[in-house]
Amino acid sequence: MRRPAGTGALRTAILMGTAAVLLAVWTVPVLWAVLTSVKNEKEVLAYPPTIAFDATIKNFREVLTGPTNIVPNLTSSLIIAVATTILTIVIAVPAAYAFARLKLPGRKPLGFYVLATQLVPPIGLIIPYFLIMNRIGWMDSYRGLVLIYLTFSLPFAIWLLVSYFEDIPREMEEAALLDRASRWQAFWHVVLPQARGAIGVTVVFVFLNAWNEFLFAVILGGATVKPVTVSMYNYINTEQTQWAQLAAAALMAMLPVIVLGIAAQKHIVAGLSAGAVKGVTRR
Amino acid sequence: MTPAERLAVAERPERRFALALAAPAVAVLAITTTFPLVYLLWQSLQNINLAMPGMDRFAGAENYVRMWEDRRFWGALGFTVVYTGVTVALQLVIGLGMALLILQIPRAQWAFRIVAIIPIVLAPVVAGLFWRTLMLAPDFGILDFAFRSLGFGAHNWLGDPRLARVSVIAIHTWQWTPFVFLYLLAALAALPADLYEAARIDRASAWRRFVHITLPLIRPAIVIVVILRITVALSAFAAIYAATGGGPGTATEIINLYAYRVSFAELSLGYGASAAVVLLVLTMAVAALLFHLRRAG
Amino acid sequence: MTRRGAVKLAGVGKSFGETSVLRDVDLEIRPGEFFSLLGPSGSGKTTTLRIIAGLETATHGHVYLDGADATLLPPGDRDVAMVFQSYALYPHMTVFDNIAFPLKMIRTPPGEIAAAVQEAAARVRIGHLLARRPGQLSGGQQQRCALARAIVRKPALFLLDEPLSNLDAKLRIETRVELKRLQRSLDVTAVYVTHDQEEAMSLSDRMAVFMDGRIVQTGTPEDVFSRPATVEVAAFLGNPPMNVLPASLAGGRATVGSATLEVPGLAALGSREVTLGVRPSDVALDGAGAPATVTLCELLGEDVIVDLDLGGQPLRAKRPGRTRLAEGAQVHVRIDPAKLHVFDRASGRRIEP
Repeated sequence: MRRPAGTGALRTAILMGTAAVLLAVWTVPVLWAVLTSVKNEKEVLAYPPTIAFDATIKNFREVLTGPTNIVPNLTSSLIIAVATTILTIVIAVPAAYAFARLKLPGRKPLGFYVLATQLVPPIGLIIPYFLIMNRIGWMDSYRGLVLIYLTFSLPFAIWLLVSYFEDIPREMEEAALLDRASRWQAFWHVVLPQARGAIGVTVVFVFLNAWNEFLFAVILGGATVKPVTVSMYNYINTEQTQWAQLAAAALMAMLPVIVLGIAAQKHIVAGLSAGAVKGVTRR
Repeated sequence: MTPAERLAVAERPERRFALALAAPAVAVLAITTTFPLVYLLWQSLQNINLAMPGMDRFAGAENYVRMWEDRRFWGALGFTVVYTGVTVALQLVIGLGMALLILQIPRAQWAFRIVAIIPIVLAPVVAGLFWRTLMLAPDFGILDFAFRSLGFGAHNWLGDPRLARVSVIAIHTWQWTPFVFLYLLAALAALPADLYEAARIDRASAWRRFVHITLPLIRPAIVIVVILRITVALSAFAAIYAATGGGPGTATEIINLYAYRVSFAELSLGYGASAAVVLLVLTMAVAALLFHLRRAG
Repeated sequence: MTRRGAVKLAGVGKSFGETSVLRDVDLEIRPGEFFSLLGPSGSGKTTTLRIIAGLETATHGHVYLDGADATLLPPGDRDVAMVFQSYALYPHMTVFDNIAFPLKMIRTPPGEIAAAVQEAAARVRIGHLLARRPGQLSGGQQQRCALARAIVRKPALFLLDEPLSNLDAKLRIETRVELKRLQRSLDVTAVYVTHDQEEAMSLSDRMAVFMDGRIVQTGTPEDVFSRPATVEVAAFLGNPPMNVLPASLAGGRATVGSATLEVPGLAALGSREVTLGVRPSDVALDGAGAPATVTLCELLGEDVIVDLDLGGQPLRAKRPGRTRLAEGAQVHVRIDPAKLHVFDRASGRRIEP
């Protein structure tokens, strides 16, 4: 049965049109932010909003070198994210291996416990943390914040890594054991090198989530611990919003994670799909 | 020795090693999550006012009783349900639709992948701020401008209670639909190609093929992504906080925000703790239900 | 040099809770022997091998290596090397590092390691591939790399789990010969698991046949081939497999379906229900004998396989030559009674006439 000529073209047109609309929906907000960030004050407040104008990098300069620049915030975020990532990997990788591959006593209940900790809503943690951190003097401290960050990064990392470890053929470890390797040596020399990709994906996710976190940071942070997510509010006050600078600051703050996201996008999707498909079974 | 004893002896070194590897993680989790949760429960039975510290006292179930009678609480609970339900449904429908669409245009896939990553990696607080300022702000926002230009008139997107609710749902949906899209795209791409060949040859029943072949095959992926999105929606905070702060009034308060405001704006931590406990129970219950459904299916 | 590599399994069994995978395994393997564990999938042969390796623990019985009770000994403490079916090479290491790994684990000085690796690689002829990674090797080369890794530490016992099954047919036969030569030249005890009876027959000094988690026969290939202990063993060995015919014996006659065979030599067995076994090559289709119809004729190059219907029972004959017989043709089947194997119908056990 032949299709009448022209339907193919119409179909393609509809498809492409819809695709274009969808692309617009998700790019316009960010593009508009980029546009706004290169406007000067006059252009910014112009209404109707303008698209053609003389671009300026003044706002970025202001945001990076001005009196209320966000460089200390970027540094703060970096410290938090790196510390959280390192700690998480060091703790989660061996644990995930134990869950995935070894005869861990109480494996099922423990696995279930790890899974359950992921279901705790952040607000349920920040309230006691606020009181406890106050009491022990850990408010506005990096160790306090990294500690609470572990509550979401550890279980997630374990969950993600377990499914990767399960994919490594058992026989390789057995061969290593027969080759007189101790269990630790088998883990270190044979299993771990194969998990490099998995660990990479985990690092990306943990870093991302730590960088973008807001609630914990806004409550437990202060003069010392002031990540970029909180610093946005420097540019908003009750009288007036400094639109252009806000846009510039937000873009600067998000630049690292956007770059990371685009560079690792294949791995991010693969990680989510693989991890989720297998990991969420009776752990 | 009995077989069981034998295995116990032979496996002992492995068990010990496994415990050594897993112990730090479990210990850290216990200290950082379980202990504070116990503390939270204890707090929820207290009457704590940060403004008047001397007045702290044990209150038993008072907070819960008060919450039961608090209309604001029920409003928050109701909106939580609506918020979660609507955004996840929208994410699923739009995300799935997009995935199916993009499968038909393989050449555009790479562009969509990159574009999809950006909303996902944005900090929710930034997404909320972007929308609040760049999109919806009267006399400034581009979306607001577009609406007015198209003749839909001016609207108080974030100031009118009903519109504010629509707006926060829209923001959350905007940010997370790409996640569903990417996830389901991967799931669909993993299906054997012949299924689509068959579907394309037999165009007359393309819809039926979709319903009877494709959907059942990606059902596991759909279930998982729905579980993930529901848990995220239940604990959404930063985007709503940035966009409306929970307002106007209490219009866009989900339980999360309600607990936050009560604790840190109104400084009544005990009461806030009890709201947090309710959210915790709700989240656990929903998760348990979803897991159960997943196993049954 | 004292010979090492003696293995003794006494009453070994493996069960998981209620299900038993292996029962009553008694084996003695002498140093320097090439011993095969033969059987269909799931028969327990791989489990037995893994128990000898220490990768599984026997829930019943004992394992003795060179006289010492090794039942609960961890795999690294047994002087055992293993070649896995999938080779289990370390993909992130070069071939050199793969082979060197066992020596590295026992802290051999680097100079000695290099020499030993070269020697092992030379023996299996992969000395020119040492800088490559397993992913860059062909299947056959990977297999030899696994072999090199196993022999580099000069173990007392050498275990092989279906090492040829991932190779194509031609390579399999070539490698088979090499394996045997290697074992002889190293004078190492080898335990070899396979489901391919031809492999077991050609390689082994002795073998054990596994069925359903038990050993049903142990012996040299000749023993097992010419005097199979049960019907199952009989049907398992040989290519094409032995014909298995239910028959009723009475007064020197065997009734197979609706046909009758004269078997005066079995008169002593009286009247009983039996299963007869006869190899296709022992079925003669000349002149006199029971009538049968040809149902199919297969040309195998050097031989011809004739599928027959003997009184309702299927029977296969193999004869040299290249002449086909027409389907539907009538022939006469004659079997030399000396070539008949008799098994008790109920138990499947061999009966000696």
